[in-house]
Amino acid sequence: MAATMAGVSLSSPRVIFKGPESLQKSQAIRSGPVFMLNQRWTGAVSSGRMVSIRPVQASPDITGKVEESIKSAEETCAGDATSGECVAAWDEVEELSAAASHARDKKKTSDPLEEYCKDNPETDECRTYDN
Amino acid sequence: MAACTVYSTQPLRTNISIPTSSKTHVGFNQKQVVFYTTTKKSSNRRTNSNNRRYLITCGAGDSQTIVIGLAADSGCGKSTFMRRLTSVFGGAAEPPKGGNPDSNTLISDTTTVICLDDYHSLDRTGRKEKGVTALDPRANDFDLMYEQVKAIKEGVSVQKPIYNHVTGLLDPPELIKPPKILVIEGLHPMYDSRVRDLLDFSIYLDISNEVKFAWKIQRDMAERGHSLESIKASIEARKPDFEAYIDPQKQYADAVIEVLPTQLIPDDNEGKILRVRLIQKEGVKYFSPVYLFDDGSTISWIPCGRKLTCSYPGIKFSYGPETYKGNEVSVVEMDGQFDRLDELIYVESHLSNLSSKFYGEVTQQMLKHADFPGSNNGTGLFQTIVGLKIRDLFEQIVASRAETPVGAAKA
Repeated sequence: MAATMAGVSLSSPRVIFKGPESLQKSQAIRSGPVFMLNQRWTGAVSSGRMVSIRPVQASPDITGKVEESIKSAEETCAGDATSGECVAAWDEVEELSAAASHARDKKKTSDPLEEYCKDNPETDECRTYDN
Repeated sequence: MAACTVYSTQPLRTNISIPTSSKTHVGFNQKQVVFYTTTKKSSNRRTNSNNRRYLITCGAGDSQTIVIGLAADSGCGKSTFMRRLTSVFGGAAEPPKGGNPDSNTLISDTTTVICLDDYHSLDRTGRKEKGVTALDPRANDFDLMYEQVKAIKEGVSVQKPIYNHVTGLLDPPELIKPPKILVIEGLHPMYDSRVRDLLDFSIYLDISNEVKFAWKIQRDMAERGHSLESIKASIEARKPDFEAYIDPQKQYADAVIEVLPTQLIPDDNEGKILRVRLIQKEGVKYFSPVYLFDDGSTISWIPCGRKLTCSYPGIKFSYGPETYKGNEVSVVEMDGQFDRLDELIYVESHLSNLSSKFYGEVTQQMLKHADFPGSNNGTGLFQTIVGLKIRDLFEQIVASRAETPVGAAKA
């Protein structure tokens, strides 16, 4: 059953991205029915909801930094593998990898609605009914 | 140990005492009594010299912070440990709201976790120029670390620098208010002897090289740019500094959690099943080690059998006294994995001296965080148990401080 919302059809599920990093990081994307929150519903949708899936990878600047640091470490160590510079370069790689993995974990667990509701619990979207 | 801190103040003409009650950010009441004396009156037994004025701040028994140190190499599960620890005390630890988004600090109702990377004296470029790693003591400001931890322990807020791991720069400082429990985690909590003396309890997470390699592969292979060779090179390059500066801290730790590859599967190199040893120092004040069946004897125990069925490779426990780095220790060891809830509760019911408040508390904590890494093996189990031990330590210290009469210490 096809329904169109903001230019996306349900019949052929496509993944909608939010954010600049999405375009390059296609390899980490899982395909499947997509859901869209906070979007105007222009047409009727028979079943299912739409939400945007974020690729679970660190933001481009950290990933880029990790790659750069690895390259520069390999270059530095090509000369002298035991020098202080070489060791410091690999230490930098380690530090950036750790930062990248933390960023990935943070992204994995961050839900845009939950984040918004944490700061604004009184808004309509965030009201909870316990009884 | 006095619960009051005395500060020298500017001289005042009159003799005033003002009792005030203020709520600190952790929500407990602190009574602050301010005494001012003039030069003429020297009869106050709290002042020894005529010419000094004293501001005496007296807190209720739990005003002084207890300090826990946690040491481990990066990428070794410290943040998981932190989350388990703060969960034992109740509440979730979160970065400070409204501050630097790249802050490394975590704050919950009772606990504040400070990352010792914030005391780097050299930022990333500085270290690169000098050719030192972050593991090197030359890259860290131990004087500032000591001053600030001491200040927080005494109930004084500090402006702590922030080391931004993303940019590699030192950011403007953030305010840290004294919590009930302060945890300092990082590479060098026990390196400096002055800081070591401030710690009420210290833990070292010792991951063996094989397991470290396996964990780092898991962490880094998803990142573009990394290959097996680069991960290996990174570990190898840091090894000399690690063994020179970080590893020796093991001997000072009150508890060491050692993670090794399993012995249940011969020639296992997948690193999925872990053998974890909880090495507990004997004779530490307020800390009574966990034991199995009989304190001080050597036990080897396989819980799987008639009452409990486990899947391959099963679970094996052992307990016994040992000598570790010249100290008398008691070691509880777990090799294998938990598959089911009833295995966990069965094991918990046979461990003694857990400092749990009710039957099944360890199991409940493990289940609460079933999605954390290590929740099905000894790492999660022993981290949770250490968390309970720290809570017990905290309560004992608070109780003992409430007993000592409130007196003044000279500034």
